[in-house]
Amino acid sequence: MSALLFRRVLVATESAPPAEADVLIENGIIRGVETRGFAEHEIPPDTRIIEGGGTKILSPAFFDPHVHLREPGKIAAETIQSGTEAAINGGITGVVAMPNTTPAMDNGPMVKNACDIAARTARIPVYVCGAITKGRQGEELAAIAAMKAAGAVMISDDGDPVENPQVLRRAMEYARDFDVMLASHCETKVLSGPGAINEGRHAYKLGLFGTPALSEELCLARDCRLAQFTGARLHIQHVTTVRGMRTIERYKNEGVRVTGEVAPHHLLFIDEDIGDFDTNYKMNPPLRTPEDRAGLLEGLKSGLFDCIATDHAPHTDFEKKREFVAAPNGITGLETAVVSLFHHFILPGHFGWDLLVRRYSAEPRRLIGLPPATITAGARAEMVLFDPQATTTFTRAFMKSKSVNTPFLDKTRQGSVEMVVLGEAVLKG
Amino acid sequence: MNIPRRKDLLSIAPLAREEIEQVLANAAHFKALFQRRVKKVPTLRGRHVLTLFYEPSTRTHSSFEIAASRLSADVTNFSVSTSSVVKGESILDTIETLESMQVDYIIVRHSASGVPSLIARHSKASVINAGDGWHAHPTQALLDAFTLREIWPDLTGRRIVIVGDLLHSRVARSTSTILHRLGAEVAVLGPGTLIPDTRWEWLQKFRTFDEVLRWKPDVVYLLRIQNERLGADPFFPSLGEYHRHFGVTDERFAHLAAEGVYIMHPGPVNRGVELVDAVMTYERCLINQQVENGIATRMACLHWLQPGDPAS
Repeated sequence: MSALLFRRVLVATESAPPAEADVLIENGIIRGVETRGFAEHEIPPDTRIIEGGGTKILSPAFFDPHVHLREPGKIAAETIQSGTEAAINGGITGVVAMPNTTPAMDNGPMVKNACDIAARTARIPVYVCGAITKGRQGEELAAIAAMKAAGAVMISDDGDPVENPQVLRRAMEYARDFDVMLASHCETKVLSGPGAINEGRHAYKLGLFGTPALSEELCLARDCRLAQFTGARLHIQHVTTVRGMRTIERYKNEGVRVTGEVAPHHLLFIDEDIGDFDTNYKMNPPLRTPEDRAGLLEGLKSGLFDCIATDHAPHTDFEKKREFVAAPNGITGLETAVVSLFHHFILPGHFGWDLLVRRYSAEPRRLIGLPPATITAGARAEMVLFDPQATTTFTRAFMKSKSVNTPFLDKTRQGSVEMVVLGEAVLKG
Repeated sequence: MNIPRRKDLLSIAPLAREEIEQVLANAAHFKALFQRRVKKVPTLRGRHVLTLFYEPSTRTHSSFEIAASRLSADVTNFSVSTSSVVKGESILDTIETLESMQVDYIIVRHSASGVPSLIARHSKASVINAGDGWHAHPTQALLDAFTLREIWPDLTGRRIVIVGDLLHSRVARSTSTILHRLGAEVAVLGPGTLIPDTRWEWLQKFRTFDEVLRWKPDVVYLLRIQNERLGADPFFPSLGEYHRHFGVTDERFAHLAAEGVYIMHPGPVNRGVELVDAVMTYERCLINQQVENGIATRMACLHWLQPGDPAS
């Protein structure tokens, strides 16, 4: 690619509504952002010109701090390559891969191996999250410093909590001095039981063991208190309840270094959407109540959440089409997140593009110490062209992920990720 | 009265009142046959019924077998070894096998809630839920309703209290739903650990048997304490304490008998836990009628359902 010119696009930022401009990119670098357009002599010959018509949005590309790429161990459901292609398809140019692979990502060589596979097969950067404990068993500390040296950007036993508070305390004290952030999947196992449906009327109706909000809230409060006690840097993953969100807020106000993320599905769905045992609505932590869903949205709007994260969790058809209790937890999200958040929240006016850019592009990058992607002169091109007037139908053919376990399968939503640019490469469109 | 036939009977919740009435009316018709010397009718001649019981059952299983044979259907028991009921087993694979066998009706029982729905979505056969996990047991509910309607043709305002483990009981969920839909007042009694706060709002909750007796119920419906479901979770201190507080003791039985209250139980009974022995010979104990009516009701269900393509 020599040069790209986006003409009359709405340029999105994290702090203001999109404003119309022309954006010129040469050799992967943004040459300029001009509200009055570029003069003929400023545009190099053979420049590819993309018309925005004053309606298409040019946004900093998105970044997902919580995905499962299943390699090694479950490559029938996803690989680092297919998962990152799914990310690109959804407008995402960077992900943090969780360590609940098989075997678990709990040592330096495994982290390095994952980074090497990504370098070979992925067209976007993949950042690796190492495990907190060996085999994610919650007993012995994983090789935290070695994983950091191999490239891990944080540690988590995601999928499971570190149940023993003494183990978590030691992990925090140890990781703190290596500047390694811990990310917590908050769940009190003895309370959550086997279920992956919120304890409530719908669980009762279906005759399923419900996971109470209490299970998540007790663990979340404990982990925040431990972070305060140890001084460790803590990130709370996939918060689903208003009480949990308020707990994070309280500890933040006390100066504790804690951040939180919310998943699109917890903003979009509730337990009743499970309907008649639909496992494409089964995840852990589970979908909660209408009150929680509304409260989480308010929290996102008022800045209580630092990031949006999909918790992209691919599973094969074969695995998901099972007894509800036996089907694995999780749904895919990388390909549906931006379009569904646009359709359900930006289009009806719940929040603007600036919030989406802040919470799903800028802050997730800052979370792991990266500079945010911006559309400003001199910056590296890392952007998405989004057409709010087009639609996307999430068919099997559309999806690049090896798995299609999403409530959006075959559904149509307003908005479309038309182009994805990363440096000199046009990854999509 | 002729209303569209359903493909499957998975739970009571989606059934309209008219559908329930239709099945109960047909059950009465089939029950009348039982007085004849020849109890068999040719309704399902040439049709094939397959029973698929992943969970052990004697009375429900044989009730369905008898119902199917009295309708002249061929009945096959697809034996599922209980040891193979592990989470790794694929139910869909089993369903594909069954589809190839081209059976018309599948009667399924499974320990996991939702399995009959899963099968119904992938099979042309009519699926009848014979009990799934804690979720539903619709034919039990229909036979319970049928049994009470033999006593009172209209259940409006009749008071039924369900006593015991509401949390783990598919019978409680289905039977309370059908009785509520037929106009009865339904209440529950049991330890706070086994009566979820998140139950349906129309299920009034009592805390003691004395409160129940003051409410003057027409029927006390006792649920079996399912020891196998209680596991390691401490729901109540002991069976003895359960009996003292939530069982039909001799003293409570005397009171209930004096008031002419009917007693029901889905079986099998834990004598000395849910009830004292004397209840079993009480003239208003409906346990045996429930069993007899189970056959007629299940005949009505088989007769009513219509095999065909899955809805989705």
